[in-house]
Amino acid sequence: MKVSGAALGSGALIGLLPLSCMRQATTEEKRNFPRPDLQTEYRRTICTHCSVGCGIIAELQNGVWVGQEPDYESPFNLGGHCAKGAAARSHGFGHRRVKYPMKLVNGAWTRLSWDQAINEIGDKLLKIRQESGPDALFFCGSSKASNEGAYLQGKFAAFWGTNNVDNQARICHSTTVDGVANTWGYGAMTNSYNDMRNSKAMLFLGSNAAEAHPVAMLQILRAKEGGSKMIVVDPRFTRTAAHADIYARIRSGTDIPFIYGLLWHIFKNGWEDKDYIARRVYAMDDIRKEVEKWPPEEVENVSGIPKDKVYEIAMTMAKNRPSTIVWCMGVTQHHIASHTVRLFCILQLALGNIGMSGGGANIFRGHDNVQGATDVGPNCHTLSCYYGLAEGSWKHWAEVWGVDYEWIKSRFDMSRQYDAGGGKMAYTMNIPGIPVSRWIDGVMEDKNNLSQKDNIRAVFFQGHACNSQTRGVHMKQALEKLDMLVISDPHPTHMAVMSDRKNDTYLLPTATQYETYGTATASNRALQWREKIIEPLYESLPDHTILYKLAKKLGFEKEMFKNIKVTNDEPLIEDVLREINRGAWTIGYTGQSPERLKLHAQHRGTFDPLTLKAEGGPCKGDYYGLPWPCWGKPEMKHPGTPILYDPSKPVAEGGLVFRAAWGADYNGASLLAADGVYSKGSEIKTGYPEFTSDILKKLGWWDELTPDEKKAAEGKNWKTDLSGGIQRVVIKHGCAPFGNGRARCNVWTYPDPIPLHREPLYTPRFDLVKKYPTYPDRKAYWRLPTRYQSIQSVNHSAKYPLIFTSGRLVEYEGGGEEERSDPWLAKLRPEMFAEVNPKDAADAGIFNGQYIWLEGAEGGRIKVRALITKRVGPGTVFTPFHFGGWFQGKDLYDKYPEDTAPYVRGEACNTATTYGYDSVTQMQETKATLCRISPA
Amino acid sequence: MKRILFMLTAMAVLVGPVGCSSESRNVTMHKPGIYKGAKDPVLALKNQQELIDRLKLVQSDR
Amino acid sequence: MARMKFLCDAERCIDCNACVTACNNEHDVPWGINRRHVVTMSDGESGEKSISVACMHCTDAPCAAVCPVDCFYFTPDGIVLHDKDLCIGCGYCFYACPFGAPQFPEENSFAARGKMDKCTFCAGGPLPDRSVEEYKLYGRNRIAEGKLPLCAEMCATKALLGGDGDVVSDIYIQRVVKRGGRPDTWGWNTAYNFKPEKEKKP
Repeated sequence: MKVSGAALGSGALIGLLPLSCMRQATTEEKRNFPRPDLQTEYRRTICTHCSVGCGIIAELQNGVWVGQEPDYESPFNLGGHCAKGAAARSHGFGHRRVKYPMKLVNGAWTRLSWDQAINEIGDKLLKIRQESGPDALFFCGSSKASNEGAYLQGKFAAFWGTNNVDNQARICHSTTVDGVANTWGYGAMTNSYNDMRNSKAMLFLGSNAAEAHPVAMLQILRAKEGGSKMIVVDPRFTRTAAHADIYARIRSGTDIPFIYGLLWHIFKNGWEDKDYIARRVYAMDDIRKEVEKWPPEEVENVSGIPKDKVYEIAMTMAKNRPSTIVWCMGVTQHHIASHTVRLFCILQLALGNIGMSGGGANIFRGHDNVQGATDVGPNCHTLSCYYGLAEGSWKHWAEVWGVDYEWIKSRFDMSRQYDAGGGKMAYTMNIPGIPVSRWIDGVMEDKNNLSQKDNIRAVFFQGHACNSQTRGVHMKQALEKLDMLVISDPHPTHMAVMSDRKNDTYLLPTATQYETYGTATASNRALQWREKIIEPLYESLPDHTILYKLAKKLGFEKEMFKNIKVTNDEPLIEDVLREINRGAWTIGYTGQSPERLKLHAQHRGTFDPLTLKAEGGPCKGDYYGLPWPCWGKPEMKHPGTPILYDPSKPVAEGGLVFRAAWGADYNGASLLAADGVYSKGSEIKTGYPEFTSDILKKLGWWDELTPDEKKAAEGKNWKTDLSGGIQRVVIKHGCAPFGNGRARCNVWTYPDPIPLHREPLYTPRFDLVKKYPTYPDRKAYWRLPTRYQSIQSVNHSAKYPLIFTSGRLVEYEGGGEEERSDPWLAKLRPEMFAEVNPKDAADAGIFNGQYIWLEGAEGGRIKVRALITKRVGPGTVFTPFHFGGWFQGKDLYDKYPEDTAPYVRGEACNTATTYGYDSVTQMQETKATLCRISPA
Repeated sequence: MKRILFMLTAMAVLVGPVGCSSESRNVTMHKPGIYKGAKDPVLALKNQQELIDRLKLVQSDR
Repeated sequence: MARMKFLCDAERCIDCNACVTACNNEHDVPWGINRRHVVTMSDGESGEKSISVACMHCTDAPCAAVCPVDCFYFTPDGIVLHDKDLCIGCGYCFYACPFGAPQFPEENSFAARGKMDKCTFCAGGPLPDRSVEEYKLYGRNRIAEGKLPLCAEMCATKALLGGDGDVVSDIYIQRVVKRGGRPDTWGWNTAYNFKPEKEKKP
């Protein structure tokens, strides 16, 4: 009795311990798991992270997302994912989401209803419009919206009356799009990820595909297995470089000298494709002249790459053709990048690699739909589909939208004209708007220096993070000056917490692409259809519904949604895509109807993973996703253009030639293709200009149009003929609607007609600034004064000796709020860090894992952990850019609305980045700036 | 003497059966190497070909 | 019939963590445990290699050999599983395993080791297949559904292969031959005194 009594007593004691000592139950409550008794439904969508466009299969039970299966039928990813795609199911949890509309009232987040929010926001916008004109609103759209959502974002801004609308493409590949388009016609990836398997050599410059486009590595490593030589040139020894055959470390911002260095060896050894250049290229001799200025010693001096390494790379690219090149942010985020990318194109033209399988300029786009947003969506410098902002473009789209041109004009500030750059005067309707890289200057700059009526007073960000833009310290000031800030996003984002705003700040819960449906364009220009996986969580609404509600409040919803059916405030996505189809003749977004795309999604398994062509089945003859240009109306059933500028196929089967976009000749030399250069089956066997109704009449093809087509096409050209008759007839005769021209090496309208090296504004090599200076400051450039020389003329490297660059991690993407709020991804990267070379660490007295202060050249400071590694060379510091939720050392957890702070927060590296903008597109110079580090 | 002997025997008789109670007496007599857990309704043998086909379908280099 | 095996092709592994996340997703693995993890050697330097590691489902499993309560068992095709109801959380299998496969969730106020949790080759545990109880303790049973481990099926570059050992070998041998029979992954240099040129891979 006594023995058992003692045992009983001790048991009772343990039971009396206070509950606070006990941790959570061991078997954590499992979330949304599959049950055997319920029926499982499968739906397919496309991952919302990067532009590879991996297929995702979601398992649903009673509308709950309970599992994921590999989409092995998808020709793009064959079932594979990276960590982000594999974590897609967590979007169905929504624990850290913005759950209902909220606004700041004296610094506290207060809940309100949708109607209240829309009414308040609408009232304020109308008031600001009345006082300061429509240009006082900066409306930022998104590369994460679907094509339909992005298109409506751009349309919304047009109907509101401003060009101050933009998206992530500005800070991603805006330089690529402009520079490459100005070289040969379209500024997009010429081939595809899959086609890289056909290459014999691959050069990656400023691209960390293993972390930024992991599933693309499937194609790249298989290419390597097939014998393709992999060359990586990067300031860091990245995960991609770890798989390379040849690696070269380059100084940030010296890409132009490096390519000239390659061209030096190519021309010296006669490795260039002389025949190709003679027949298809204009002004290569201008390049030859510039190459003379870049002997191997100078290339090594400026870029830091040893002479023999440059030779080895040149030889590998030349002797292993077709060779392909890949570039990403490492190249595009500089103030001369529009010119750099042209030089890359010129390199490939010299080698004769464009327009063939295995070659090409394979530009890896960033976000899942940045290609689509660039093409059809919100851009401050053009209307949808690169039509531009001239009167003709507005008239074209007014016709497509079904509204009166004069009415649209009346929506804009027509009170006076402003400086459109170089002293030319124009109305704001025809001047490019303030881009997302510069919106803070639109707020802070003296309004007399702006090419619009007043400063930006209200900012509406739908689907764009702010911690990916430079100059965080100035951004905080700009945010505090604004009259109103609206954030329409699934998460609060860094923007909601980084400033000390107390009022007039709204959070609108927006649905992710998993909670709606539509199309997205992958980097290889293919469109994919997304199905809706789950209903919008909590009170969130999709982008297009929010836009409709706002348009209704602001009074133009009838005009904006004239041809789009709206049910319960939600516009019909299929109708939006059809409207795009009706107007997108420049780039051939006309043939990708909802029906064709849905059929492709259903039968994706019938497409060959190498050629991306369906050899049989219901989609026979098509290329997967109908990559644009998919000419003509959907009834014409064009199969899409898998490889741009490839003359080996008829245009009707996906072939193409270079665009004749700049006239027939310049400076006495022809801009049209030489005799004997034409796409297969073309009836015109020489170069020809772009097609207009007049040219068709001259050729005697005009009568092949139907009477209806003739009526619509009279006096129009291949871009503005809404009937599609011109394109149809031209393609029937085997010709390309946009002409048959030469790719040009000299862009006479650019600041530098031939690419020239200019040192970054914040350069560690002040000694080179004299020889390679930047541009003079500009007065009215995209409505803003923009500085160049006044920054570079000061030697910042004395105080800030280290190059500060940034980039991606595989676990996170973009601003990172979405992934850092995901339990499975957050646990993989719990802290913000900076990679520091052992030499620099020793100089600064820093040991591994220690907190350090990283101070940028304009004074912004961030507190991060030091990761000592040889991955970066001495003299360079690298940070990821995905973190947010801290500001200059302080964790902003308390400023988040309840239950919305991401699990992982950290310093946004762009708090410490600096001024610097591309001379053609206003791209920010993120990749090459300066900093110094010290122990915290 | 007899009383001490009687007391010892009585205690032995009274205390001895304490060890006979069955509650919480299942001691695992450890036979190493033999699984002691619940039985798993293993299907592996039945769907072996199905799994091979799946491997070729999903994971091969198509 | 061959045993079920994993193979991670280090020539293709890019440390993307898809396998880690796919596993966490499929089995809703609690915070603090990663049944699968990617190990990168020579991080940031020439010769960097990554490989994905989880339970290797050994034929002569050391974990099973040392378990004091014998909670491990083998399926006919070689998958190593265990009974969590029997597991006492002693951690001996963790000592014995050369790959660090056994993981332990932290429990109660003293963070003592809880029941061992590890990769199950997506074959669940001794509870009835595809039942809710089996999911809660062991995660999803894909094998019973005729599917293979999600980590292997979702690998971005098809570096990680998991399934019938003979077929996995076939797939891998084809790659080796295509690469020219010279995988420089594991000690090829050591075995054959092969000295690669500096920064140039064969």
